[in-house]
Amino acid sequence: MNVAVAVDDEARYEAVPSASEAGPAAKRIVVGYGFWIFLLSDIVMFSAIFAAYAVLTHATAGGPGGGQLFSQRSVALETGCLLASSYTCGLMSLAIGSRRYAATYLMALITFVLGAAFLALEVREFAGMIAIGAGPQRSAFLSAFFTLVGCHGLHVTAGLVWLAVMMAQVAIKGFRATVERRLLCFSLFWHALDIVWVWLFTVVYLMGVLS
Amino acid sequence: MPVFCWTSLAANLLIVAAFPVLTATLAMLLLDRYLGFHFFTIDGQGNAMMYVNLFWVWGHPEVYILVLPAFGIFSEVVSTFSGKPLFGYRSMVAATMVICVLSFVVWLHHFFTMGASANVNGFFGVMTMIIAVPTGVKVFNWLFTMYGGRIRFTVPILWSIGFMVTFVIGGMTGVLMAVPPADFQLHNSLFLIAHFHNVIIGGTVFGLMAGYNYWFPKAFGFKLDERWGRASFWCWLIGFYLAFMPLYALGLMGMTRRMQHYDVASWQPWLVAAAIGVIIILAGIVCQVIQLVVSIRGREQLKVNADPWNGRTLEWATASPPPAWNFAVLPQVTDLDALWNKKQRERTQAQPPKERKFEPIEMPKNSATGFITAFFAVVTGFALIWHIWWMAGVGAIGGFLTMLAFAFRDEEEVEVPAEQIARFEQANQAEIAV
Repeated sequence: MNVAVAVDDEARYEAVPSASEAGPAAKRIVVGYGFWIFLLSDIVMFSAIFAAYAVLTHATAGGPGGGQLFSQRSVALETGCLLASSYTCGLMSLAIGSRRYAATYLMALITFVLGAAFLALEVREFAGMIAIGAGPQRSAFLSAFFTLVGCHGLHVTAGLVWLAVMMAQVAIKGFRATVERRLLCFSLFWHALDIVWVWLFTVVYLMGVLS
Repeated sequence: MPVFCWTSLAANLLIVAAFPVLTATLAMLLLDRYLGFHFFTIDGQGNAMMYVNLFWVWGHPEVYILVLPAFGIFSEVVSTFSGKPLFGYRSMVAATMVICVLSFVVWLHHFFTMGASANVNGFFGVMTMIIAVPTGVKVFNWLFTMYGGRIRFTVPILWSIGFMVTFVIGGMTGVLMAVPPADFQLHNSLFLIAHFHNVIIGGTVFGLMAGYNYWFPKAFGFKLDERWGRASFWCWLIGFYLAFMPLYALGLMGMTRRMQHYDVASWQPWLVAAAIGVIIILAGIVCQVIQLVVSIRGREQLKVNADPWNGRTLEWATASPPPAWNFAVLPQVTDLDALWNKKQRERTQAQPPKERKFEPIEMPKNSATGFITAFFAVVTGFALIWHIWWMAGVGAIGGFLTMLAFAFRDEEEVEVPAEQIARFEQANQAEIAV
């Protein structure tokens, strides 16, 4: 197919090298691409837990269901915290791009605090449920609920640890290329957790309250 | 891109897409066993069949993760020793990618007897038959590659021919079992055992043997002994047929798998034949070990240059064993079988000697991080199995701290100076400039 193009417009065709002729891509692109693949595999893992949750959502074994357990106010607050933290994470990326240390630290701090507030709300929700006898051992539905929401919570926890380590790296090493690439990966990770949360919010909490 | 690279790419796509499901499944099982969750238990309204489903959602792509690289090895071996370019290169790549996708929609054929509806079983039965089509395309491509070629019967091609015959038999019994009513009869019988050994030994094991004999000289700089290699192949092939063909008959006679004992006299002769087959396979394994020992002892006589097989692809253009930087100058590739075409051009017309200017090459620095984190992972796994909680904590924290130390190191790359590359090139004149 391309042969015809080459004959018609040979000069221009020669002038623009194809992606493979341009040589290996920049390291930033390769690292970002690799991290995207990791994120996709992480989403596949979440999909498997989502599928298990969907299978077990009515398997309450005579115990409480989602409608009785979920507090919409607490979930709304959690969602607000997490989405706002993604916004501040975006502001942090801009600060890194323009090499502003103070703004980077400030935005990282706000992101961290919002993420920690999200986790605190989630832990409070979990503790409340366990206190009224609706722990993960109560029924298959609750096992799946705690695993699915808890797995997202573990990811947020890992993200907070990562963010703290990255701020230490910015302080010690400054904005060098490796540090910048890792911060790029961190922000991809943080936004991906938002996407997973949107699904969780829909499938677990909204649909749970509806049933 | 050589077909082996394509099949490795496809296998890795499958790994990235399928293994997270296993991770999730094992996490659920772990929670069930350690913390009293109810994913797969009978009480608490868990669902035991969900475990089987999740397991095979990973497990079926996994069998293609096993066999696709082997398909790539056969493609390289068949083309090299037939002295012909691979027949149907594009259809080979397309078939690989079709298998890659379809492998995700056949998992239920591992348990048609679960009790899913006829339509569900029908869908997975049909998909299972369809996935045999791209595999059939590959077999025809290999046959047509050999057709009209001047075949050199080396050890790798013997394994490849043995594979083609054996794998086709295993594939056909697989399509038989893809019919759900037939599967209800054959499920968990020795017919099934014979089938999957037929494809995994005939496909993956034979493929790995072919690849081991084919690329050993590239990795170590000397060939493996041909005579012991042949002996090993014939023992394996004869032993395989003697050991596993009787199992088909036994399966049809009603013998199921994992029996603790049996008291059916008519099964006995078949099982004795199978046992003799196992002994012959053992002889094949012994020949393999002897082959390696004999080859290491005689490595001076078996020494080879860069291109011992009159190869077609680029790995044969660099020294055996290759330097850490693989190629001193990045090869310019314009067609398939780049090395072969280069050799043909040089044979037909004298090429002006290319001036080779060496430049320093950037290499990743060596690091023990992988080894140390793996050590801590083993500690964690051991501690979890024996419920030693403090040790599990030590392992997890140790692994994390190792990663942290790795993240804070200052230099990540080293530069190999141009003089070192030039010295290596002088010592190993073998490299053919592509």
